[in-house]
Amino acid sequence: MKRLYTFLTIFVLFSLVLTACGTPAPTTQPAAPVGGAPVEAPTDAPVTLKMVAWDISTTPYWQAVIDAYVAKNPNVTIELIDVSSAEYQDKVNIMLSGGDESDIITVKDIPGYSAMLTRNQIIPLNSYIETDGLDLSAYSGAAEELTYEGSIYALPFRSDIWILYYNKDIFDKAGIAYPDNDMTWAEYEDLARKLTSGTGADKVYGAHHHTWRSTVQLATVQDGKNTVIATDYSFMKPIYDMIVGMQKDGIIMDYGSLKAGSIHYSGVFKNEQIAMLPMGSWFIGTMIAAKNAGEADFNWGVAKFPHPEGVTAGTTAGTLTSLAINANSENKDAAWDFIKFYSGVEGAKALAKTGNLPALRTAEVLDIFASLEGVPAEATEALQTVTVRLELPMHPKVGAVEQILNEEHELIMTQSVSVDEGIASMTRRVAEALAE
Amino acid sequence: MDAMQFTHLNKTASGARRKTLTQNLVAYSFILPNLLGFATFTLIPMAFSLVLAFMHWDGANVVTWAGLDNFKELISDETFRIALGNTFYYVIGTVPPTMLASLGLALLLNQPLRGRDFFRTTFFFPYVASLVAVAVVWNMLFHPAMGPVNQLLTALGVDGAPRWTASVDWAMPTVIMASIWKGMGYYMVIYLAALQGIPSYLYEAAEIDGANAWQKLRYITLPMLTPATFFVSIMLTIASFKVFDLILVMTGGGPGRATNVLVIHTYNMAFRQFRFGYSSAIAMVLFIIVLIITIVQFRLEKRWVSYM
Repeated sequence: MKRLYTFLTIFVLFSLVLTACGTPAPTTQPAAPVGGAPVEAPTDAPVTLKMVAWDISTTPYWQAVIDAYVAKNPNVTIELIDVSSAEYQDKVNIMLSGGDESDIITVKDIPGYSAMLTRNQIIPLNSYIETDGLDLSAYSGAAEELTYEGSIYALPFRSDIWILYYNKDIFDKAGIAYPDNDMTWAEYEDLARKLTSGTGADKVYGAHHHTWRSTVQLATVQDGKNTVIATDYSFMKPIYDMIVGMQKDGIIMDYGSLKAGSIHYSGVFKNEQIAMLPMGSWFIGTMIAAKNAGEADFNWGVAKFPHPEGVTAGTTAGTLTSLAINANSENKDAAWDFIKFYSGVEGAKALAKTGNLPALRTAEVLDIFASLEGVPAEATEALQTVTVRLELPMHPKVGAVEQILNEEHELIMTQSVSVDEGIASMTRRVAEALAE
Repeated sequence: MDAMQFTHLNKTASGARRKTLTQNLVAYSFILPNLLGFATFTLIPMAFSLVLAFMHWDGANVVTWAGLDNFKELISDETFRIALGNTFYYVIGTVPPTMLASLGLALLLNQPLRGRDFFRTTFFFPYVASLVAVAVVWNMLFHPAMGPVNQLLTALGVDGAPRWTASVDWAMPTVIMASIWKGMGYYMVIYLAALQGIPSYLYEAAEIDGANAWQKLRYITLPMLTPATFFVSIMLTIASFKVFDLILVMTGGGPGRATNVLVIHTYNMAFRQFRFGYSSAIAMVLFIIVLIITIVQFRLEKRWVSYM
């Protein structure tokens, strides 16, 4: 017994010591008004900037834009820190919580952005933008999407929208006209049903929905009446009914099989197992590379994302990839100069040359993209947008809501619950999470 | 006179005490290097987590006092209840079958069989194999459409074979099977060592008394193995409560929340939603559960474990 007391005493002492030194310690940079006026002309002193990004070996544009920057600023060295894209945000969160001193943080998605800015791990860029007189309207709305309580914490450099990819050879063989740029989801389903043929290893599926929640839920928020953070999810029913119906009838591949086999959408498209694929515009670059490498020996095209009845064609959902400055960075001014370049016209041109869509889309930049070898002729038209909605809105609870939606999506798609049950469960659980 | 004797005695007593102290210090200095590492990487984080359970912390901003808020929230957290249930499901599904399987293997591979060493290595192999590789292979084996398991079942005429990890009902059994397969080799080695420690004269004496194989197993082998069984049951129970990596790779806690266990929930809360205080509270509940079960196991030890 006596030993137990000694143990407990030591334990309590330990805890007290830790509370004592733990409380004031956390790094609370109250979003310091960025140190004075930003340096105008870049100084010639050598600077090394560290930039956190994902999948460096398979993502050509990181280095392409860096090379363009370094050519103009030979005193700057940019060091890329590679993180796997699958666990990018988790890893970055842990790095930043541990006081990592990288200078530039690539922001992959809105939940990650939201998490970093509410925890003051990235700094507001407003004072830099004012000093340099940057015109944010050039980003056609993207900058507003990133503004939170009057401050913007990242500049967008890449912006992808959702479009429809199709295998021209499969359409030709079936004698069906290619999808046009004004197609409703109902027409899409009809087309998919017509294109499905064969059995076993020769089976061709009319369409393909990857296991991401967004491949189903984007269509439900396209009309702009709802966002995925809602108090009632019944608006998702029609699209879920359609997709689950297509899955039951074997028009699209089975969700459970895709998940258990970790099957990537690029594989099934390249193997000509699917006729149509709703996917982000980043897949254009992948397909060009695949064709050059001889992995995809067929003709493919792109069309505008299908839309719900009564919504204008060209309404789609998009994602923003942006750059932010770490609050712990010791080279904030140099980092800003780099970010400004990366997101600006020069960076956009370099990015477009690698087959990716920059956030800054001037006519000149789009021309560079469209004239790239391998970009389908239809791309120019298909990439014209009327309205682009963010996949996930800015919200402090977006992480918690996303987890719930992912879980319920999985239950609906594995047909563990009916569409109605799944949607009722989303409504109830999200309401509870938002109320906390 | 008396007084003098007393001083003398006192002197020897303090001398002895000093000697004990020196001896203790020497001993402590031997364990110090290990203790330092243990304290830095295990004890201090544990204590920190204990304190955090009573705090609100998002990993970056100021820590604020939460009192019992985190624990109150546990009561109303549906995912926590599901994860708690799933954890017990996993532990109960894993511990007894793994013990039986490893004991059976050890008994079998303790016989003078042909290729005995080969089989011992084979069964031990999963334990040293990379867990991620094991999880991926199991996912392929149990793939609902293309997996060899379901193809075999279909060929045998089974209609509507289970959809394994893609099914809410079968996901946990699939994970449990993978876990038994991966863990049994290690516990088999412990049982094998214990089997070889049983003196052969016991069996010889039993044979002279006319005992058959079953009686030898029942009255000699099993009682002599109780210390090993006790060790295995404690290690295995603790390991099962802590399950994380296998589930994360195989199902990610899904479908839905079907395989979400306490450690997965802790991880999600801490590193996905940045609620370090709340996740520490979950971890503390897990710690208390494991502590209670281990204490109970030790209490019951005297009733069934025999040390010869």
